[in-house]
Amino acid sequence: MEDWFYYLVALPIALLFLGSAVYALYWASRNGQLKEFERGAASIFDEEEPVGLETDHFPGKSPRRG
Amino acid sequence: MANPSSLAASLSPEASPDLVKRAELSEIDASTKAPAIFLLGSSVLWLLLGTVFALIASFKMHSPNFLGDYEWLTFGRIRTAHLNAVVYGWSVNASFAVAIWLMARLARGVLRHTGLLFTATVFWNLGVTIGIAGILLGDSTSIEWLEFPPYATPLLFVAYALIGAWAIITFRFGKSNHIYVSQWYILAALFWFPWLYSVAQIMMIFSPARGTVQSLVNWWFAHNVLGLWFTPIGLAAVYYFLPKVLGKPIHSYYLSVLGFWSLAIFYNWAGVHHLIGGPVPVWVQSAGIAASFMMVVPVVVTAINHHMTMVGSFGALKTSPTLRFIVFGAVSYTLASLQGSSMALRSWNEVTHFTHYTVGHSHLGMYAFFTMVMFGAIYYILPRILLKEWPSAPLISVHFWTTAVGVIFYVVAISVGGLKQGFEMNNADIPFIETVKNTIIYLELRSYAGVLMTVGHIAFAVNFTWMLAKRRKAGATAPTLFRTGPEIELEASAR
Amino acid sequence: MNRAPLIFLGIFFALAFSWTGIVLVNQISYGDLTPVYDENDGIAYPQALPGIAQQGRLVYQDLGCVYCHTQQVRRPGFGADIERGWGERQSVARDYIREPRVFLGSMRTGPDLRNVGTRYVDTPTSKAGSEWHHRHLYDPQITSPGSNMPPFKFLYETRKIVGEPSVNAITHLLPEQYQPEAGYEVVPTKRAESLVAYLLSLKDTYAYPETNNVYVEPAPEETKAAGQKEESK
Repeated sequence: MEDWFYYLVALPIALLFLGSAVYALYWASRNGQLKEFERGAASIFDEEEPVGLETDHFPGKSPRRG
Repeated sequence: MANPSSLAASLSPEASPDLVKRAELSEIDASTKAPAIFLLGSSVLWLLLGTVFALIASFKMHSPNFLGDYEWLTFGRIRTAHLNAVVYGWSVNASFAVAIWLMARLARGVLRHTGLLFTATVFWNLGVTIGIAGILLGDSTSIEWLEFPPYATPLLFVAYALIGAWAIITFRFGKSNHIYVSQWYILAALFWFPWLYSVAQIMMIFSPARGTVQSLVNWWFAHNVLGLWFTPIGLAAVYYFLPKVLGKPIHSYYLSVLGFWSLAIFYNWAGVHHLIGGPVPVWVQSAGIAASFMMVVPVVVTAINHHMTMVGSFGALKTSPTLRFIVFGAVSYTLASLQGSSMALRSWNEVTHFTHYTVGHSHLGMYAFFTMVMFGAIYYILPRILLKEWPSAPLISVHFWTTAVGVIFYVVAISVGGLKQGFEMNNADIPFIETVKNTIIYLELRSYAGVLMTVGHIAFAVNFTWMLAKRRKAGATAPTLFRTGPEIELEASAR
Repeated sequence: MNRAPLIFLGIFFALAFSWTGIVLVNQISYGDLTPVYDENDGIAYPQALPGIAQQGRLVYQDLGCVYCHTQQVRRPGFGADIERGWGERQSVARDYIREPRVFLGSMRTGPDLRNVGTRYVDTPTSKAGSEWHHRHLYDPQITSPGSNMPPFKFLYETRKIVGEPSVNAITHLLPEQYQPEAGYEVVPTKRAESLVAYLLSLKDTYAYPETNNVYVEPAPEETKAAGQKEESK
């Protein structure tokens, strides 16, 4: 079996994968899936543990002010 | 639960609108305590046991007469017991614990149905125990990653179904108005695993497919356990803990979403690269190579995102144990994945396939990435559910440095040995036995690395047990380590 | 808005795609391969394993041999499988269809065993093949010094000779330092015997129609038996 055969088959399949990924992205953006990213990223913070507060330290070391 | 309306209320948020309120973080953490402690406790026990198995197997590889007279300790069994103990014992238990804690926190709700969860985890550990005993006694199926004898797997399946059901209930009760990317990963993983596992069990063991279709199912499963279970759980933890510890949002939420979907699409085709050159259809092999190569996309995207989040905050690596482990894991994820993509390329696969190089790669993925991320997560979670601090900072440092140096040493030694083995094996002028002899020195180095990692595991286990046994300070509502500056000043001025 | 159903749909299709492609399509396309009936030989290939070898297959499985030995020969030019004498031709899917469990393996700490039955052979007049395997299994250092294969002494029984020595005993095959005390003999257990029978049975020498496309090492002495090899040139 020649090597070119593998690439002849592998390349279109890779392109197919790529195409489906691009389509999924296109679909996602059309559906508003990609909006409000900043809110998404910030959703793990709240008044209890706000942005700017480091929340993990070695025991005994005094925590840094947030 | 006899009353049907209360049962309905406990399963669906619509049936009980008054239950819907955002819970305090500490309340949420506390609600995960019982199942999380049970899961983490058993995961640590499995880690220790798996490490002992690993050392025995590793010594046997260069000193075959070591414990050579015991049938149940023969290499083929002890190696398999090691894999299953660290994968289904340590890694899955740890990932369950981390996943339920993250799910509860991200859904902003206290944990419900802890009884259900507890039953599930008991079943899981029972299944793993029976499975490993079965392997040592000679009932292994000899199917890679699916060695548990058929009498152990139904237990695992029941456990898994219960946890899946629990996750859906928790998700439905979520009070957060946003689905954070970590939740995507966890939900996807919880959904994917039972599918993979049931198809593999049916087509490999209960009603085996004919011929090498079995091998395709085998590697579709085995690689996807990594790609669609451990990787998503590990990444979910990184995506949560990295920004959370630093106190700053992830660099680009967009990239994290892109990373998620590209991983979902490409990873699950990649498993066939274990069969390159084997007696399976050439087009599936090609698809596997293509998908493996395309994995560069999610990996690079994720790496950029993590790195950009870290930029400017590297100082925090000194102060936060969690961050150290998580960052080490995230970097290893990038390296392991890029290495994996390269190993699927035909010319490189010709050399590395069937050699110890693959073993190095799997430890880079399962240990340097996944296990280190789990260590980091446990360092963060345990103080919050026990409301105590870790008793010993030096033990944490010992744990980090021995495991970090140990695993690097491990991967380098075994990879160099594996490459030598691969090149020599492809040269038919070198007698096979010589290629074996030439790897022995690297296998010995690997054992030393293993001993170093064992030291780290013991340090971790001691710290863990000590923490469980330690008495909590009276009136503590939170571990001191995450109290903020003003609170501490207040306390000081009150004295 | 609640995007959970959409996300779930995406998650579902991602796995459904590979499940269909890797598992389902292949199960449909070659999951029902059948043996090839050779009219000259009057035999359908691949042949079923004899009963004792089937038992040996289970011993191979429970001891985990698959973790160090593959059972697949790659094509010429991809690795040195053929040059190392691990087979005359590449392994094809049809070779495995009689096997309840396929031991392709993924590691070559030891050599490939797909055709080990052609390398160590018993003939009507000689038991050289099984004798080699017994010595090798008892302790690999006897036949292959420097090997890191574990010894399988536990598959052998050292027992007192009562009356006539056993005809199966392998005592006479072992070097001096492995000799039991006087009056004792080393006898293979049933499991050792069946494992050896399994190893002796491992050989893919028949050329199926599809192996003609790949490559067949010229093997003059077997041309008659294999029938179709001529066409492969």
